[in-house]
Amino acid sequence: MSDSKPIDIPVLALGPRGDDMTGRAILRQLEELLAALVERDEPGSIDLRSLPFGPEDRQLLEEALGEGEVEAEVESMGPSRVRETGIPGIWWVTHYGSDQQPLAELLEVTYCPEILITPSDAAKEGLSALRARLFESDHMGR
Amino acid sequence: MRDKTVLELLQARGVSRRGFLKFCATTASLLALPPSAAAAIAETLGKTRRPSVIWLSFQECTGCTESLTRAHLPTIESLIFDAISLDYHHTLQAASGSAAEAAREEAMKAAWGQYVLVVDGSIPLGEQGYYSAIAGVSNLEMLKETAAGAAAIINMGTCAAYGGIPQANPNPTGAVPVSAIIKDKPIVNVPGCPPIPVVMTSVVAHYLTFGAVPELDHLGRPKSFYGDTIHDRCYRRPFYDQGKFATSFDDEGARNGWCLYQLGCKGPTTYNACATVKWNDGTSFPIQSGHGCIGCSEPNFWDKGSFYQPLSAGIWGDRQATLGTAAVAGAAVGAVAAASTRIRQQHASEEK
Repeated sequence: MSDSKPIDIPVLALGPRGDDMTGRAILRQLEELLAALVERDEPGSIDLRSLPFGPEDRQLLEEALGEGEVEAEVESMGPSRVRETGIPGIWWVTHYGSDQQPLAELLEVTYCPEILITPSDAAKEGLSALRARLFESDHMGR
Repeated sequence: MRDKTVLELLQARGVSRRGFLKFCATTASLLALPPSAAAAIAETLGKTRRPSVIWLSFQECTGCTESLTRAHLPTIESLIFDAISLDYHHTLQAASGSAAEAAREEAMKAAWGQYVLVVDGSIPLGEQGYYSAIAGVSNLEMLKETAAGAAAIINMGTCAAYGGIPQANPNPTGAVPVSAIIKDKPIVNVPGCPPIPVVMTSVVAHYLTFGAVPELDHLGRPKSFYGDTIHDRCYRRPFYDQGKFATSFDDEGARNGWCLYQLGCKGPTTYNACATVKWNDGTSFPIQSGHGCIGCSEPNFWDKGSFYQPLSAGIWGDRQATLGTAAVAGAAVGAVAAASTRIRQQHASEEK
């Protein structure tokens, strides 16, 4: 064993994976989902983690969808990144754990992802909180 | 605490509505459900009471519990697991001796007919079952009396699912899997030696969310995690298809990361999620670390010949002739083997 040398074992397959067929299939599915949103008001989404999704597929999707006007970060049980793509109505949503590990990655086809909308219960609590602050402010004479 | 719904439990932990939506979306993704299932999960968890879980460890090495508890658990996954009431687990619970057994009996009485029974380890039948006993009660007796009040049974690990290493030749204790004893309850097998941590928690989460066992294959395994072979999802698969194989652990093929089939990899006949979910927080899996799959999630994996002989040379699986030829002939026949794998999956599905 004295003459043993460290062996460099590649942890990724050498050469191209072969194709970006999954990415192309996703684009077709997105077309159908966006048509359903526009024509029937039906939102939909695709879970990217459920698919054999390689770097070529990601590159294809990123190039085809592009960047939109909206980018938001939600901080709740770890960050979530919500990004509108260059195709209005298609959002790229990535949920991370508190350790920044991605837990779910979705392409949501909707007018606005639900995670960005203020829940009605929260709005009611907000109204109560605002009134309490106004009351406090009035009694402080400000 | 047990009367609270899962949603109420999460809210009590300070999880906001947005956090809850994220929890549901992530749970759907973890369980390999379509994204549209997130809404159903949200609705169900708003009504579901915190389920009681009793975990029995029989003839085992504690590796399954080690895998689960050593797991890196992201917040959301932890919440899924925290949402159950783990009422008895003799490795993890603080109580011991008669107090521990009293806790099991109390949990059974409180949720008779509703609790989930998790078992790791096989059950010895030799010597009237007394090769393994807890507090003077044989594993056999304890399984029968606890299973009687269970809504469903989840077998964690290959020992509980298929007998595993205790059942390996010459099987000195007469070990059998749970399914050899319990015939009248829904049983989910989560095999592996040990199983992947997230697979264990996700199967429990599925039951928690839907109150039913997930869709299973012909060996009782959840299709969401055991639907494909390691080979089907292996990143080294292109080399198999090209006929490029490592023939020793330090040859050019090994250094180039080629297929490990000829070094005994059992990936083509092993159904598990290692190649996609991976281990140690998604870091790697055996093949990625340079060692072939040993097929630990398949029945009788220990008695199927050497881990270092190719499938074509051993008695492993039922497709050795096809795969053996493929290894020699390379790319062209590799495609046939791939098709064969899919046909076998299809048959398994049809048998079910």
